[in-house]
Amino acid sequence: MSNYSLVAVLISLLFINPAWGFEDDSGCLLCHKYPKMGRINEQGVKRSYQVIPNAFGSTVHRNVPCTDCHDYIKQLPHREVTKGVSCDSECHSIKNPATGKNFSHKPIYDKYKGSVHGREKIETGLEADKPYCVTCHTNPMYNPDEDAPPKEIVDRCVVCHEDRKFVTNWYKHTSRRIKEVKRSPAEIVELCSSCHSDKALVDRHVEAAKKEGRELGEKYAIAVESYNESFHGKVTKYGFTKAANCLDCHAKKDNYYMNVHDIRASRDPESPVHEDNKLETCQSCHIYADENYVQLDPHPSSKKEINPFKYYANMIYGWVGDVVIVLLITMAMIETWGRRRDGASFCMRKGSSWWRKSKKSKDRIK
Amino acid sequence: MKLSAEAQSVLETSMRINNTDDNERQEIEKVISSMPDDRVLLYKNVVSNPIGDIYRYSIHIRIQHMLTFVTFLTLAFTGLPIAFLDHSWAQPLNGLIGGIDISRVIHRTLAAVMVLSMVYHVVYLFYVSTKEILQGKFELRRSIIPTFRDITVFKEDMQYFFGKREQRPEMDKFMYKQKIHYFAAAFGNLVMVISGSSFIFPEFWAAIIPASSASFFQELMRLSHPHEALLALLVIAFWHWYNVHLAPGRFPMQWTFLTGKITREHQIEEHFLEYLRNLVELPEEREYLQNLLDARELSLDVEDEFKIAEEET
Repeated sequence: MSNYSLVAVLISLLFINPAWGFEDDSGCLLCHKYPKMGRINEQGVKRSYQVIPNAFGSTVHRNVPCTDCHDYIKQLPHREVTKGVSCDSECHSIKNPATGKNFSHKPIYDKYKGSVHGREKIETGLEADKPYCVTCHTNPMYNPDEDAPPKEIVDRCVVCHEDRKFVTNWYKHTSRRIKEVKRSPAEIVELCSSCHSDKALVDRHVEAAKKEGRELGEKYAIAVESYNESFHGKVTKYGFTKAANCLDCHAKKDNYYMNVHDIRASRDPESPVHEDNKLETCQSCHIYADENYVQLDPHPSSKKEINPFKYYANMIYGWVGDVVIVLLITMAMIETWGRRRDGASFCMRKGSSWWRKSKKSKDRIK
Repeated sequence: MKLSAEAQSVLETSMRINNTDDNERQEIEKVISSMPDDRVLLYKNVVSNPIGDIYRYSIHIRIQHMLTFVTFLTLAFTGLPIAFLDHSWAQPLNGLIGGIDISRVIHRTLAAVMVLSMVYHVVYLFYVSTKEILQGKFELRRSIIPTFRDITVFKEDMQYFFGKREQRPEMDKFMYKQKIHYFAAAFGNLVMVISGSSFIFPEFWAAIIPASSASFFQELMRLSHPHEALLALLVIAFWHWYNVHLAPGRFPMQWTFLTGKITREHQIEEHFLEYLRNLVELPEEREYLQNLLDARELSLDVEDEFKIAEEET
């Protein structure tokens, strides 16, 4: 091997450093590994373009070559990025083992696009308020379920599958997905609330709908605060996991993972909270629910202008409670004062509580 | 002592119910006639056993009280941290119990025990009252049922405390304070059970309430449960516990809830009419009182003695 070949091998080893955790076939890390790789964009926001190899190597996308998603990169150094990654792009390097086709998030992406939240990646105005895939889905860098599989499992699998690396990867892939990967109910509420309780955002949409004569859901403006006041909201907030969270009512039941991407407005006949579907939705938890049950308000508000009944009932309850306590304590004080004046001691001693001198009647004969 | 018309009526009824024979009747009349007119002298001069002298509550009532008392406090302990979890004190308390997953199970289990104790109480009252009615022994004024007389008694008692009356009014086995407390507790329990059940069985309540009101009802119940719970806890802590632990003569506690007995001085002071029944029913109490009156020379009032002395001169 010539000296030149040796240098070439050594340089190429830099790019396929196994410690990085993923294969950088296109040599992107040549530049993107540097911490100072970044710029200040047109909006004055500091953006970092650094890719930390070890961190990215632990993510779910570790096996996808950069250019499968960043498919607009055709040469190095690349041109200015205008479009960015779209989550419906097709992987050319990863095959869907079930269909043999190139892997893609397109089916769920299309579902999402048809929902009330659907938007393009680059949007302006009200559309930009809607969530894009990455609003909810991060690219988690560590998952404890992906820790190295127990040796006895790998030992068993390699009996047929031979390759320990293959078995380890499949174990990690499967274990991550068969374990509970859903957000907890409290986290779901927090996620939905991050937009729906943003007053400025909600007001913008209410105003726009009013101007355009569009109809919005009855509870749109108070969705989060009223849910938090509800029985479901309250116990969910406290960590109870069996009460309905946003998705339990607003996403159809047949396939959770698919339908949470297909949230629809309540006026849409496809929505589980559409007038015609409410009963069935309630019955998915409250099996004995009937037509009357549907009338219970899952988003109750105690605001005077929205629900005067609850507002005044609460006020009256408060007053009655205060008055009762004050009256009873006053009565006890009057009684104590009266009996003390008459010579009652607080403590019974030698068989009597009446050893003190009375101010108004006869005393105990000593 | 010259008895009031009410007291005389209570005494006569009691002697009739107890089939008091002539000898006993004479004995009772003797002891009553030698009692001073001023009842203050009576309850100030008797000697009482702090844990109680006179039997008042049956073992059933004591068990019911104990069940209600234990379940109420533990329900409050497990429920209030849920209702007020936004408050800083509630989180650690709820955590101490094991979080909402645990505390709600404890809460609902205890609620079932409390409902059972209510049922036990109602069944027991029904049984005892029916038995008394059938035997011709039932007396409305001796029961906890409020009467118009309670209003007069309340007014007179307040007048006494403000120094406008010489003596406390003659009160029956259950005085106005106990009646207020009993019915407040009964009403409160009912509210808690109905509102609590509307959380566990919302479908049931929605089914029996008209659709137009179902949501209002549910909301009202959600308000009622914590409001009533807090009110009950405050009433218990600041009124009931004060009355039975800290009020003059009651420290460190009235033992009635354990022993079923009331002290003699308390019975005479606040339940004089019941004490008259005790004199009919308990010969030993008659004997005790007669001995006390003789020993302390209380048979006549000082004023009466003065009057007699005046007449003699």
